[in-house]
Amino acid sequence: MAEERFLTRREFITVVTAAGGSLAVALALSEIEPLQELIARELKLELPEVAREAAAQSGDARHRWGMLIDLRTCIGCQYCVYACQAVNDVPDDMRWNVYLPEVTQTGEPFHMTRPCLHCNDAPCVSVCPAQATYRRDDGLIIMDYDLCIGCRYCQVACPYDARSFNWKAREGASGYQPEWGNAEVERRPRGVAEKCTFCIHRIDRGLAQGLVPGVDRPATPACVNICPVQARIFGDLNDPASPVSQAIKSLPTFRLREDLGTEPNVYYVPPEGMAL
Amino acid sequence: MTTMIGTLRRQAQTAPIFSAWIIFLLSLLVVGLISAARVLWVGLDVTNLSNTVPWGLWITVDLSAIALGAGAFSLSTIVYIFRVKSFAPIARIAVFVGFVGYTSAMLALVMDIGRPDRFWHPMVFWNVHSVLWEITMCVVFYSMVLVFELAPAVLESRIVVQRFPRGPKLAHFLHRFTPVVSVVGLGLSLLHQSSLGATYGVLVARPLWFKPSLPVLFILSAVAAGATVTLGLTVFYENLVRERQINTRLRNLLAAFAGLMMLAYLYLKLWDFLATSYYSHLPARANDSTLLESTTPYGVTFWWIEIILGALVPAIILLTPRLRRQDIWLVLAALLAMAGIIVNRWNVTLSGLVVPMDWSPGAAELFAVQKYTPTAPEWGVALGVLGYALLMLTLGLRYLPLFPKDDAHH
Repeated sequence: MAEERFLTRREFITVVTAAGGSLAVALALSEIEPLQELIARELKLELPEVAREAAAQSGDARHRWGMLIDLRTCIGCQYCVYACQAVNDVPDDMRWNVYLPEVTQTGEPFHMTRPCLHCNDAPCVSVCPAQATYRRDDGLIIMDYDLCIGCRYCQVACPYDARSFNWKAREGASGYQPEWGNAEVERRPRGVAEKCTFCIHRIDRGLAQGLVPGVDRPATPACVNICPVQARIFGDLNDPASPVSQAIKSLPTFRLREDLGTEPNVYYVPPEGMAL
Repeated sequence: MTTMIGTLRRQAQTAPIFSAWIIFLLSLLVVGLISAARVLWVGLDVTNLSNTVPWGLWITVDLSAIALGAGAFSLSTIVYIFRVKSFAPIARIAVFVGFVGYTSAMLALVMDIGRPDRFWHPMVFWNVHSVLWEITMCVVFYSMVLVFELAPAVLESRIVVQRFPRGPKLAHFLHRFTPVVSVVGLGLSLLHQSSLGATYGVLVARPLWFKPSLPVLFILSAVAAGATVTLGLTVFYENLVRERQINTRLRNLLAAFAGLMMLAYLYLKLWDFLATSYYSHLPARANDSTLLESTTPYGVTFWWIEIILGALVPAIILLTPRLRRQDIWLVLAALLAMAGIIVNRWNVTLSGLVVPMDWSPGAAELFAVQKYTPTAPEWGVALGVLGYALLMLTLGLRYLPLFPKDDAHH
């Protein structure tokens, strides 16, 4: 009867000891400080420093950052593109902020530019399989480059082609530095997606210093600051007194592909001669 | 070293064709490994993928491999959940084909993502709103189901029994849980096989994709082609070993099952076409279709390969007793169904991507239709995955009891 038994006592003890031993080694390893940091960063455990960082990343729900682009006044100089390339250290063959020469239905030329629209219901956020892109409480659609696995589903899903992928490792300086500005953010590694952030680093630092984004230049996106004709207005859409809210209230505006229900936070003033 | 060469020489003399076949497969693997090393070293820059066409050949390989492995869940469901005894002899080979398909898909996927070192992130950082998250979880758990279902065949194999005599006993023990595991496997398979279609179907910005039929088309085509391929492979193997592994009755039942599923797929595909392109006129979709058909061979490949050669002809073969009686026709049906699936997954993926999106409010002709031709490293990795799949099938059929002679376990 004994040899019919599926597991002998000896085997049982071996298995239990091995499992217990592995657990003990794992617990011992997790006590080593450098490993602890690594585990915390990778798993976002509730360590004090990590928790604080996460709070800063969630944004302030009292604000909702938005932009107005006046297509009547834009002269197509592309300074907004160049400043963005320099400040965000975007590779020369990649664009966060896109310029397009366009015509109205009546054939009148106008100049179209497009940052990330920071949709309230962003398709890129809902498709990301790893929480690498998310919507902050202040409406900004943000990437966590440390979480991105590089599947590129966000690129496939974004209705506005606003996302770029790092196909290769970054080499050399940006062709737009230092004429149009200096890098203010870290370079992104090979293999992750990236996009316009509304210069989130300026907004967060500015708010901490008591500045008002969209009013005080150090707290305002580079593309807005550099525009020679002030075709771009930035600010808090939740604040009815902000310049951007005032402008949206007084001007005829539209948003890109409103039929998709993405609810962008970038508004456009149509060029002369364009039917809405 | 000398003994190894001696063994190889003896092997080459006694089984020259088998040796040549293995050498061919190993060379595919070498090509794959060299290409993979290049991709991992240089990055995805070595592909022809771009910001407008970010998915291409490898996603096609991945989708096709998973679809062709669908015989595993559909046939195990028939055997272990519906308890149709006569189907039992096909269950193991079906599970094995599924295992090969899913592992091949994972190889292709790991090459495709920009950060293979973070492949596990979806399992830790859940985004339950993402179809791709759901697919990742299901594929991971379903692969465990496949390993479990395949375990008895491995434990009963001669190689294992020689070293671990109690293998068959353990196999028998594990086999007791198969019905429960099969129910789990059925749920997981239904979810992710459909979700692979939903990956495209839920994207509101792409008129060619945005339709509720895609998830259903994906699972129906997978069940039909998966069963056809399992049957075709079995018949091909019977010819290799010159011995019948499944009886005529089971062969007819399998062919009828696969053929009927193929007809169901064709029926849905017909109505999908009629409802979206013939009886209705959504300007965005109509424009995109016109653009697609005028610039790519989409129209020709859709009708000739996806519909006629890839589905209709196999369905006719599978449902005509006079044809399915002959081995050559069944093998042909399997090859055609396989081609149909691969071309379909390619067409679905690329059709939505090469047609540019239209977000600018202006009226200028802005973006041209994109061209995508895979580069040598992309083909290399695809060939490597193919080599892996064929090598696994070869070794499995040679060394594992995939067609158990006694029915003690069923």
